[in-house]
Amino acid sequence: MAKIIVVTSGKGGVGKTTSAAAIATGLALRGNKTVVIDFDVGLRNLDLIMGCERRVVYDLVNVIQGEAGLKQAMIRDKRSENLHILPASQTRDKDALTLEGVEKVLMDLSEEFDYIICDSPAGIERGAQLALYFADEAVVVTNPEVSSVRDSDRILGLLSSKSRRAEQGREPIKEHLLVTRYNPNRVDDGDMLNLDDIREILAIDLVGLIPESEAVLRASNQGVPVIHDDKSDAGQAYADTVSRLMGEDVPLRFQSVQKRGLIARMFGGGGRR
Amino acid sequence: MSLNRDRADTAFTFKGGMLPMTVMELASGDPERIRAQLAGKVSQAPAFFQHTPVVLSVEQIDEPHLALERICAVCRAHKLLPVAVRGGSDPVKQSAWALGLGWFPPQEIRPRAVEMRPAESRLVEASVEAEAELPVPEAAAHAGGRIHRGTVRSGQQISASEGDLVVIGAVNPGAEVLAAGSVHVYGPLRGRALAGIHGDREAGIFCHDLNAELLSVAGTYKRLEDIDPKMLGCSVQVRLKEDQLRISALT
Repeated sequence: MAKIIVVTSGKGGVGKTTSAAAIATGLALRGNKTVVIDFDVGLRNLDLIMGCERRVVYDLVNVIQGEAGLKQAMIRDKRSENLHILPASQTRDKDALTLEGVEKVLMDLSEEFDYIICDSPAGIERGAQLALYFADEAVVVTNPEVSSVRDSDRILGLLSSKSRRAEQGREPIKEHLLVTRYNPNRVDDGDMLNLDDIREILAIDLVGLIPESEAVLRASNQGVPVIHDDKSDAGQAYADTVSRLMGEDVPLRFQSVQKRGLIARMFGGGGRR
Repeated sequence: MSLNRDRADTAFTFKGGMLPMTVMELASGDPERIRAQLAGKVSQAPAFFQHTPVVLSVEQIDEPHLALERICAVCRAHKLLPVAVRGGSDPVKQSAWALGLGWFPPQEIRPRAVEMRPAESRLVEASVEAEAELPVPEAAAHAGGRIHRGTVRSGQQISASEGDLVVIGAVNPGAEVLAAGSVHVYGPLRGRALAGIHGDREAGIFCHDLNAELLSVAGTYKRLEDIDPKMLGCSVQVRLKEDQLRISALT
């Protein structure tokens, strides 16, 4: 049976899709058979981040409505043969997803894969609720700002009440906090919330801290998940995150201001170390 | 016509109001059984039966016809004044109107088990309730209150429709905790807390680490920006004194 992990946040633009792509890729690179599903029907993005937008034929909605088989709709990643992508439909809306349909897709995928990563849409409506409903674990992506923290708090409430595990009274969804776009300089200046404040309010385990990095934008635009850029700070931070998700104990990096040498400052280097 | 009419012109004005009201939740439609039970209650809490207005809730009774007139007579004989009926079939609604009573639609069924209190315990105040023989649901305190363990998160609302609410954990921004009695938060209070929601002016709010978005006791409230900044982050109690919320440190 696969482990189903939802990547969610409530708020939009905090890095859900970037994180889902990086985590799925990282798990696959470690030898796990992994599939990442885009639940953002109507605002399909995951295919772009994964760099497979030209190979999309069928999508999640086609599979749910019986117009295509799972094998036809899944796209194998070019860089890792353990990784598959199930894209969302761009022409439909979230009402095209049904609870039964999503359940069947997840059950079928469960037999073949080790990890199923569900990339949730923003918001707390139907799309987001379907993405989290069947989850075993949740990665709650949060930026160091008050509105993001509040929305994450709201999603944590839904995870504990509106999921299948909650409704069946089973062991609750395992919740992980992933803080993204963290800039220690701006934390020191008081522009950003610091990590301890976020952790105090959300009160869940921290699975990763991703520094604000030029590498992320570059990776998105190139369609290569940032975790492949193992020279970059963000790539390394996602690799640490994947290790922790797999149960390893890895020390936290990138929390305080990095002193950059003269050479690095002269040549920029986009957050590479 | 002027919008600002002289006060002397108007014989009355309509105003919305939320009044505390006792709901008599009937488990049986048999007037004799009600009479027998009321007789026992009067001896336990005579102060309660002073022409107290009550709403007869018949939602639990699954019968199309009820001896509403006789039930009302029994109530009046025990100095309870039925003012309205809640729930019931169409004939029940018609006979309520015929008796000059109001009719309310059935209450929305809420999934929270703790709020589904046994029929009888709604009837009389804590003194009588404390010895109620009915089993109290788990996680409910003795006086009909409620204990919540864990963080109350943004968008969540935890309420105790009777008695006190105790939260063991944090109340986060955007969350709301309400109680007919007092609200106790053993943790940071960063959301909204409303005590005495049915008008109990003796209720209070007690918390560690005050950072509440809103504090309210019996409808009198203070917003975060009205709270003395010196009190923020402190362990405090909030009481209603002379129509003002008084916040004092718990030492």
